[in-house]
Amino acid sequence: MDGKLEVSLDKLPVKRLDAIEENGFERFPSDVDYDEKRLSLIRRIDFAWAVEKDDKKKQKKSSKESSAPWQWQSMVENLQLAHQELSVIMDLINTVEANDAVTVASMTRPKPLPNEILSDLSVSAATKLQCFRHLGKYFKQSAKTLEQQVTREARFYGALIRLQQNWKVKRQRGAASAPGSEGFTIDLFDNSLYDPAAVFRPSSLSTVRLDHDSAGMLSINLPPNSRRSIQFSFLGQHSDDTVKEPYKIKTYPSVDNHSRESEKESISDDEYVKETHSLIREVHRAIFDEQVFDLVNREASNPSLGVNVTGIRENYLQLSLGQGTCVFVSLAPSSQGDQMVESLSSQNIENAILPLDTLDGVKLPEEEQDTPRKKWGFPNCISYEIYLQQIFHEHVFMKAKDRPVYTGARGSGQGAKDGPSLLGHFCMSLDHRIFSNKVLMELENVVCRVPYLHLLCNPTWLSRSSSWTVFMKVPQSILHAGCQASPSTHRRMRNVIKSEFRTKIVVNDDCINVEGEGAPNVVGLFKGNSGEISSMNRYDCDLADLPSIILQQAASQVIGWLHEEALLVGIKVNRDFLCLSFELEQGETLSLVAHVDPEDTQGCISWWLLMEDGFAEERKLHMDISDGASEYRKFLGHLSLDVLYSTLMDLVSLCSGGGSQ
Amino acid sequence: MDSQSQNTSLQRLQNVEKRVVRVLELAGGVMDELANPAGPRKDLINNHCLDFMQLIKDIQVTLRGEIKSACEYRPFEKCDYSSRIANEICCKKLEYVISQMDGMKQTVDEYHGAV
Repeated sequence: MDGKLEVSLDKLPVKRLDAIEENGFERFPSDVDYDEKRLSLIRRIDFAWAVEKDDKKKQKKSSKESSAPWQWQSMVENLQLAHQELSVIMDLINTVEANDAVTVASMTRPKPLPNEILSDLSVSAATKLQCFRHLGKYFKQSAKTLEQQVTREARFYGALIRLQQNWKVKRQRGAASAPGSEGFTIDLFDNSLYDPAAVFRPSSLSTVRLDHDSAGMLSINLPPNSRRSIQFSFLGQHSDDTVKEPYKIKTYPSVDNHSRESEKESISDDEYVKETHSLIREVHRAIFDEQVFDLVNREASNPSLGVNVTGIRENYLQLSLGQGTCVFVSLAPSSQGDQMVESLSSQNIENAILPLDTLDGVKLPEEEQDTPRKKWGFPNCISYEIYLQQIFHEHVFMKAKDRPVYTGARGSGQGAKDGPSLLGHFCMSLDHRIFSNKVLMELENVVCRVPYLHLLCNPTWLSRSSSWTVFMKVPQSILHAGCQASPSTHRRMRNVIKSEFRTKIVVNDDCINVEGEGAPNVVGLFKGNSGEISSMNRYDCDLADLPSIILQQAASQVIGWLHEEALLVGIKVNRDFLCLSFELEQGETLSLVAHVDPEDTQGCISWWLLMEDGFAEERKLHMDISDGASEYRKFLGHLSLDVLYSTLMDLVSLCSGGGSQ
Repeated sequence: MDSQSQNTSLQRLQNVEKRVVRVLELAGGVMDELANPAGPRKDLINNHCLDFMQLIKDIQVTLRGEIKSACEYRPFEKCDYSSRIANEICCKKLEYVISQMDGMKQTVDEYHGAV
């Protein structure tokens, strides 16, 4: 920069007083604004020299170009100018963006040169093609990933939809769901059918989370031993050998979390869904068992009929039943392997209680003859476990209208359902079952040893009542019972047609009731009227007396039959309770007497032939051996009915033949 | 897509997803064709676009049908959980009866063997 340098001086930037007024108030000049200060400073600078210089430079340049130029000089200068223009524009744009002091008033586009138009076009075409290529790649990539995701999720949703056909699937969206799981759960809590009185907390098991496993398939993770099932057993049963354990038929493989993952590739999706379904079934059952156990505990805590609680532990309840038997109900983890929980044991088959149909003279296996009395065992605890679950299910979990209606009393003497509780009813059923097993044992013992007696079981379909029939079929008489012109009583007509005798035994709770023909009618006995001796009678009896009662019934029925047969032939016979007597000439009587002994191992009913002369004596059931002076006795042994019949016919011919002894 | 194979709604929805994938592939193909430096082949692009429109229409029809039928289903209306428990109890009973009958059969076989 040449030319003269001019200097101007400013006053010091000190506040100078403008004026003072009369009252002493000082007046200062007002502050100058920063912008105005700047502006005034800029104004004082003289830029004239620069403008002149530019003009001079331009003139010089135009004269310089004509002499020896460097061939790139113009391009360099053009680029420099372009650069300068660009930097000015950039600054302007930045200022406009910052909205600092300049805003845009209007913009016009400079008119493009022809080569510029072409180059613009080619650039935009190239950009578009690039975008297309980019898009094409993007679409194809998305298609591939979408396909992978679709197939991956198809397995999951396919399995989910199959599970949804049977279970309630719920979805919980939002942050609460774990990442990668999408929040699906299966809700196993049934809230639709409960009584308002019964309050159930949803168990921790009742929401099952559905996760994705590593292959994207649906999976369920349950903590081991979280599922428990109810078990019922008799105390002291562990000592029995578990001869057979056939009852746990597992139709599905037990699910074990560890082995499952290694086998996953080999199982098809179908089987996998089935396994998951079985797992959920197990959980559902476990929840029900927990609820049943809870109810059992609640009922046990109310003192009620028939239930005595003798022990409580966690998940364990011990009860004592009427006859000194102790049972326990417990909640134990259901086994995941093949080993059975030790408290469950099944019975030896000989001790198992099976309803028996006709034995028909079948000889029992060898060991039975050595032990004349079978030992009775406990009823099978599995069946009572099932029964416990069933009665609670029916009465608590089902709507009242769906419950099965039991006609007749559930066991005699029970009033409304509110009286004895469900648990009380269960214990009484169990008592009844144990008692009726004993009854059955006695009956079997009797029937085994008398070949012409058969035992029939009458199912009552009531849990506290059982019934059997002892059945005897007599051979047909040789003289076919045609029409007897005699004024037969109604009973005799019946007797002619009848060829079988039945004695019915009914057990209600622990009362035994026997009903049958041939029972002694005491009044008829004294009257001596044969028409009144045998009639249908019912009476109660004890367990200890049952065998002899049954045998007496049978023997008197045999006597009655023989009596009828003899009458058919036309012989006058007298009948006492267990004795059939013929009158011979000379006042002698020949009697066929039945002797009943339940302890007799070779047959319980034996026969004696007794001859007495003259004097009518009271027939005794049990004979005194010492009193043998005026009687002759012959022991006939255990006779079958055919032999008895032929014996009778012999006696008849003896009587009618008139021969004396 | 043949219609006789779509007999469950899940299969229909899966087919919709497959169609969406196919639609994306077609779009990618069209874009690639347009980016062809030699210029796009018109017939190819026409075919692709026709397929595209057809697929979109199929998707729309299927989804509409599915949505309509989905509205009729009210979830959890009839809960069968208690009858399911009743069935489980029946299964247990059956297993027990089967085991007892097996025992009876065994007894009979033993008896016949002894005789």
